Amino acid sequence: MTLRVLIADDEPLARGGVRARLAGHADVTLVGECTDGPAVLAALQAQAPDLLFLDVQMPGLSGLDVLQALPPERRPLTVLLTAYEQFALRAFELRALDYLLKPIDEDRFADALDRARRALAWQRGDTRAHASHYANRFQVRLGHRVRLVSADQIDWIEAHGDYAGLHVGEQLHLLREPLQRLAGRLDPAQFVRVHRSAIVRLDRVAEMQALSNRDHLLRLRDGTVLRASRTYVDALRAALLSSDTP
Amino acid sequence: MIRSSVHPVVAPFWLPWLAGVPMVACMTVMALPEVGHGHAVAFRVLYAATYLVWTLPLTFAQRWLRGRAPWPLAVLALLALTYLMSLANNALAELLALHWHALPRFDWLRLFGGLDGCWLALIAFCAIHAVVDHTLALQAERARVRDALALARDAELRALRYQLNPHFLFNTLNAISTLVAERRNMDANRMLARLADLLRTTLERGEMHEVPLAEELALTGHYLDIEKIRLGERLALELRVGPDLLQAAVPALLLQPLVENAIRHGIAARAGGGRVRLQVERAGDRLRLHLFNEGVPSSPAEEPHPAIGLRNVRERLARLYGSAHAFDFHLAPGGDCRVEISLPFRAMAAPA
Repeated sequence: MTLRVLIADDEPLARGGVRARLAGHADVTLVGECTDGPAVLAALQAQAPDLLFLDVQMPGLSGLDVLQALPPERRPLTVLLTAYEQFALRAFELRALDYLLKPIDEDRFADALDRARRALAWQRGDTRAHASHYANRFQVRLGHRVRLVSADQIDWIEAHGDYAGLHVGEQLHLLREPLQRLAGRLDPAQFVRVHRSAIVRLDRVAEMQALSNRDHLLRLRDGTVLRASRTYVDALRAALLSSDTP
Repeated sequence: MIRSSVHPVVAPFWLPWLAGVPMVACMTVMALPEVGHGHAVAFRVLYAATYLVWTLPLTFAQRWLRGRAPWPLAVLALLALTYLMSLANNALAELLALHWHALPRFDWLRLFGGLDGCWLALIAFCAIHAVVDHTLALQAERARVRDALALARDAELRALRYQLNPHFLFNTLNAISTLVAERRNMDANRMLARLADLLRTTLERGEMHEVPLAEELALTGHYLDIEKIRLGERLALELRVGPDLLQAAVPALLLQPLVENAIRHGIAARAGGGRVRLQVERAGDRLRLHLFNEGVPSSPAEEPHPAIGLRNVRERLARLYGSAHAFDFHLAPGGDCRVEISLPFRAMAAPA
């Protein structure tokens, strides 16, 4: 499966940044670059890309106006790019796939691409993307020994570069697998992503507190405090509600 | 809140005048023994009525004199004025007596006799007026001093906070520059993204001196993200918070400089890294924060003055809570460091 991508940003350096990050992904084909709103609308007609990286502030027509101008069924999968947070609400109202803040974070970028792949697979009716069973045991190294950690022992999981740190009580086990990849192998009924660098086991959450920037702070039963980004909070709340009524 | 006027504060007109009204009651009591003696009561009523009438211009006169004449002169002027008013009262009383044929003719000498009923009352009124005016001016002055002190405290707290932001910012920029020099592009990029997160958070936060603990922990989390990139697995972090404390009020930017201190002077100096532990608990009506970090033995040559973050936190705690807080910093010979803070516990309203 290939992703046909269009980039729209009025700043050449910003377009270069997206291009450079896309270069590392073999399944991505760049179909064009635009520098203003009207050009994006024309390119969407001509090229019909799968995925659009769209800057919010552009001359003529803003990124949000571009989306607004299209009927919902003709909007491509769109990742919005901006330095400001205040457009997020409108972006999601316009059904944007993701909303990335500049300067762009590598992990969040990869995350957004992953979302696009999944959404596209779903659109194309590719249901074998997700097997029905999830990982429930992990092999971690403890010196020279290998230890098995079962999924229900884990309190939360933290990104540690190319490793995932499994928190089991007071202990931290490092699993040689990026959080990004591990996230897809965990049972979504038990584990929820709350932050670009953290996954939490639902039944460990004790308190949830909204912050002034609409992020949230979670307190686990053992007193550990974790931040939850607003982009993950709704999914977390829904999961918490549904886990109350098994 | 700043009062620009330097003139003495003037009480509302009606207040000292009202304070003088009970004098009428005194006059009534003094008149009681004379009930039934011819026209005596009528004369007393006349004096009381003239008293009430005279106090109006008298109030104006006293206010006019205040601040224009030195006080001995003002006293003499008021004595003279009230004396003249009393003479006028007597003149009025004589005219009334002539009307009732109680007197054969107008007697100029009688004007100067029996002044105690009017003159003393008017002098007493002046005294009451002066006391009321003075008390009000004193109160206003106290309020002004209080305002000035609060403004000064605000300015000091703000200055202390502004001191922290650039300090932290330049440390981070320096770390990014190091990553770039080492060609660790991915890490440099990550750190830039985290720095942007942190700036967004601090810039939209406003001017509050106190924030809920949850806000402060989130901000510290942004900072820790940056340090984790720099130190990787060398930084082991333990964060434990007791139940129902996320709303507790803490000074804005309380934890970030302390954690920064713990990492820069403790963990970063250790080849194998180390552990930072932060615990927040409630004990009765106190909020206790306990920060521990492993460190290295410090040579006596370094650290000629205490770290800027630590000193800053101390000063802000003193400004905000005075004697209601406790701050304890303990550096073990081995380099391990412990900071304990105790504050009055107070819950803050949730953000809108």
